Amino acid sequence: MRLVGSAITIAVAILGFAAIAQQTGSGSNQPPAESPPPPANGSQPQVDESALRYFASQGDTRRVNAEIARLRALYPNWTPPSDLSQLSGGAAAAAPDPLIERLWNLYREDRIAEVRAAIAERQTSDPNWKAPEELVAALETVEARRRLTNASDTGQWRTVLQVATEAPSLLTCVNVDVLWRVAEAFARTDQPNRTRDVYTYLLQNCASLGERLATLQKALTLLPEQQVATLLQFERKTGESPDDFTAIRDELARRRVERASLDSKATASAEDLAVVERLIQNTNEAGPVLILGWYNYHHGNPARGLELFKTALDRDGGTKAAEGYAMSLRALERLSDAEAFAYEWRERAPESMKIYLDVATALLSQDPAPRLEPQVLARIVPVVTAQRFSDAAQALGWYSYNTEQIRTARDWFRTALTWKADDEASAYGLALTTQRLNDRAGFNAVVAQWRSRSQRIADLADGANPATGRQPVTTPPSPVAQAPLAQPIESAPPPVQPRPVSREVTVERIETEQTFSRTEGNVRRRQTQARSALGRNCTMTRNPAGLSGDSALTRGWCLMEINRPMEAVAAFDQAIATGSSRAREEAAYGKSLAYLRKNLTSEAAIAATEAPQTRERRVELGASILTQRALAAYRDGRYVETLMALSERARIVPEQNDLLLIRGWSYVRLGRYNDAEKVFRAVQQTGYSEEAAAGLNAILEITGRMRY
Amino acid sequence: MTIRLPRPIQLLPWLFAAFFLLMASIASSQSLSVQPLNLVGTISPADWEAYRSRFVEDNGRVVDTANGNISHSEGQGYGLLLALAAADRRSFEQIWNFTFTELLIRDDGLAVWKWDPASKPRVTDRNNASDGDLLIAYALARAGTAWQEPRYTTAAQKLAKAIGKSTFSLSGRSMFLLPGAQGFGAGDRPDGPVINLSYWVFETFPVLAGLAPEYEWNRVWRDGVMLLQQSTSGRVRLPADWISLQNGLQPRPADGFPPEFGYNSLRIPLYLLRAGMTDMEWLRALKQRWSAENEGVAVVNVVTGQVRERLTDQGYAILPAALACALDGTPVPEALRTFEPSLYYPSTLYLLAKSLLGEKYPQCV
Repeated sequence: MRLVGSAITIAVAILGFAAIAQQTGSGSNQPPAESPPPPANGSQPQVDESALRYFASQGDTRRVNAEIARLRALYPNWTPPSDLSQLSGGAAAAAPDPLIERLWNLYREDRIAEVRAAIAERQTSDPNWKAPEELVAALETVEARRRLTNASDTGQWRTVLQVATEAPSLLTCVNVDVLWRVAEAFARTDQPNRTRDVYTYLLQNCASLGERLATLQKALTLLPEQQVATLLQFERKTGESPDDFTAIRDELARRRVERASLDSKATASAEDLAVVERLIQNTNEAGPVLILGWYNYHHGNPARGLELFKTALDRDGGTKAAEGYAMSLRALERLSDAEAFAYEWRERAPESMKIYLDVATALLSQDPAPRLEPQVLARIVPVVTAQRFSDAAQALGWYSYNTEQIRTARDWFRTALTWKADDEASAYGLALTTQRLNDRAGFNAVVAQWRSRSQRIADLADGANPATGRQPVTTPPSPVAQAPLAQPIESAPPPVQPRPVSREVTVERIETEQTFSRTEGNVRRRQTQARSALGRNCTMTRNPAGLSGDSALTRGWCLMEINRPMEAVAAFDQAIATGSSRAREEAAYGKSLAYLRKNLTSEAAIAATEAPQTRERRVELGASILTQRALAAYRDGRYVETLMALSERARIVPEQNDLLLIRGWSYVRLGRYNDAEKVFRAVQQTGYSEEAAAGLNAILEITGRMRY
Repeated sequence: MTIRLPRPIQLLPWLFAAFFLLMASIASSQSLSVQPLNLVGTISPADWEAYRSRFVEDNGRVVDTANGNISHSEGQGYGLLLALAAADRRSFEQIWNFTFTELLIRDDGLAVWKWDPASKPRVTDRNNASDGDLLIAYALARAGTAWQEPRYTTAAQKLAKAIGKSTFSLSGRSMFLLPGAQGFGAGDRPDGPVINLSYWVFETFPVLAGLAPEYEWNRVWRDGVMLLQQSTSGRVRLPADWISLQNGLQPRPADGFPPEFGYNSLRIPLYLLRAGMTDMEWLRALKQRWSAENEGVAVVNVVTGQVRERLTDQGYAILPAALACALDGTPVPEALRTFEPSLYYPSTLYLLAKSLLGEKYPQCV
């Protein structure tokens, strides 16, 4: 045994083990490695024979026999010592001391305090009296065991080791529990080698199969795996009652696979993988399924991973299984499925939320920009907003940008920057959008903050990279983007940042009952043309999948005519997928109109980008979309957004009186009475308008009241 | 501390200075030579039997009958001390056996303070309570001498060293007794250090100083007296049970405890009397407050002076009687002379007081 200078007591404890090992038999003299001691050795535990010897020395045959019966019941393999008769010879004449008999009885009933009390009492009346040495030793052992157990239960590991040092007689196979506690005390005081020594001693000397297996199970919780593996060599493979340490080996294999399951560079052996497969078959636990799921996920087989995570979900594998399932879907590029699945689990754990946000970001960031169901966007946005997740905000920015919703894109980039000030890609997006919106102040502000840190923003300012065309959705962050902003974001909110709800413009599903003659008029004119050119019966519902591009286009227009816009969308989709470039343009246009008919403005905006459109159509579609958006926002009381949509629309087509009135009322609602007054007066100048007059009166009333 | 005097304001600094000088002189005039009690044989077998049969189990556990029948290091310490005073070596050994095997298991050599028969493991708070440690060590030391039992003396010495090592704490210029090794120091809580003046069991200090002379028992004892004087110099003249020393010389009630002179602190006069420290001026003021004409023994808010609870059990009522006897020679009323055990805590106080009166003031009883 090696002495550790700083822990003499501990070394002494180990020396105590050595001493006990010597006492218990020859087995401990053998080297620990190859030759485990014969079972008979270990089956002879140190039995407390002190009471037995005492009764024998008193010649009390009746009590000797009773004690032998008791000990046999406790230790089935124990055999009574052969020298008992010699003990009784000398003392047979002396009458047994009734007190001592009583003390031993109390001792056997574990009433230790009372034994001590009786001894003390006797010594008070008879100072020369001494308790039998065996009894005192037996008491000390019991007291030591109690203190050791209590200290161990209370995490007082140094006390455990100290007591073990002072009472080495405790450290035997009779007290395997004590040995385990001492082993743990070594482990808890950072002496794993000593822990291993205790377990080694136990495996070499103690016979109980259950305790031997339990020893290795304890080793699994306290020792490094290599040391556990070393202990496996003490498995007894022959004899009457051989060990079966399969469970331990399986656990070690399971752990190896578990480690490799999270590290794509580490591979597990076929044997280890087979063990885990077997564990999956033999139990209903989700644990091994999850391990194998992650192993497949991280080793290029997400399809198998998906299956396994599905099994784990069926086995109540909880959020871990759900995370694996979502990530496997994502790895399989089934992003829509991944988003829908992860959405359901997002509240279950912080990690689940993180995965949902990542999946949603990935969904938005596809190139080309995907066509997303409005309800998908509608559920992504509130989560992103609540979680203030800047990557998704940026992705929403590019998504809006790539679907020609520049103003919304700008708001998202700005939002992303407030959540993550050093996000260069969002700053670049903000620069692009402010430039395209001709927002000079906004553009200059971004450039001023970022030109020294971002070459491409500087290029933009220098006119080297005109902001036209489709931008890559995966924009790598600039390497210099880590530099923090000079000001904290809270103290410098974006100057014209609309209220947060404005972001919902892009993605909100607008359910409107109203129709508007102007846009609808356009649509109807188109439809009339279509009908006159291509008029056919389309009332029979049929799947457009088999149609040629032109036929699908015709069917789409026909469906529009009989006001079945959602079926028309499917037909136009088929035309976009299979038709000529002319048919594709026409179909994208038709699809936008169909969505407008259903008041799905976001979808309309997306559809409009599915094929390049003529300038005329772009203007028309854009104006229609923005009109609907403005009206929807107005209806919902979102006046800032109303004004934003109207302004964007006014950039491409002149604003007619009905929309000017909407603008005026929006100003009123926002308390911008001067602006409202200007607008209402402008409307009045084009001819008398009851609405405009009402607006002007309202302003007078409000401002009049406010002045007094 | 709050001194409210109807005096011109310019006098105040001078008064403060004089006050501290006075206190310092009082404190230094108190030497550690407390008058030791004989203890052994000062409790009658009948009284002890009444106590033992109610509160001590066969396994040596002293049961706090008012607190869910838990046990604590303080109770074990009192049990040992009373067994010694009753000259009951048998019970002493019994109580010690439980104390040793169940509580004296901390790595630092102190006793865990709380043991609950309804819990598993039974130790429900592994922190120590310094008064419990002092009482156990003191009882062991005295028993070791009285009964010539080296096992007790050895254990007393170990514990005394552990107390000195882990519970004596220096803050500013004063050295005091932390109520527990964990959780009360300057770094442990915002208003730390926090003390409990009733943890100074004054009679134990000279005895334990003899067993662990390498620690500054005299200084802790003296600074405890000083802190007691400071804490009783306010308008209400009562110390709170739990006191924050965050402001050095200005002790104030600790956060999170009611600012009360409560069950803890009402032991302080008993400890002072048992240590023979009868010349503390505060004892006279307390005797006045506790007299039958005034409010009697009570739990009192130390800020407002309001009484929250009057304590009428025999074990509390004997405290003013002992004060009146020790200070004025007033005989103890007949009604208090016969032990009528009720709950663990007042019964303990009663026997501690009666043991003192029997030994030092037999003319009162």
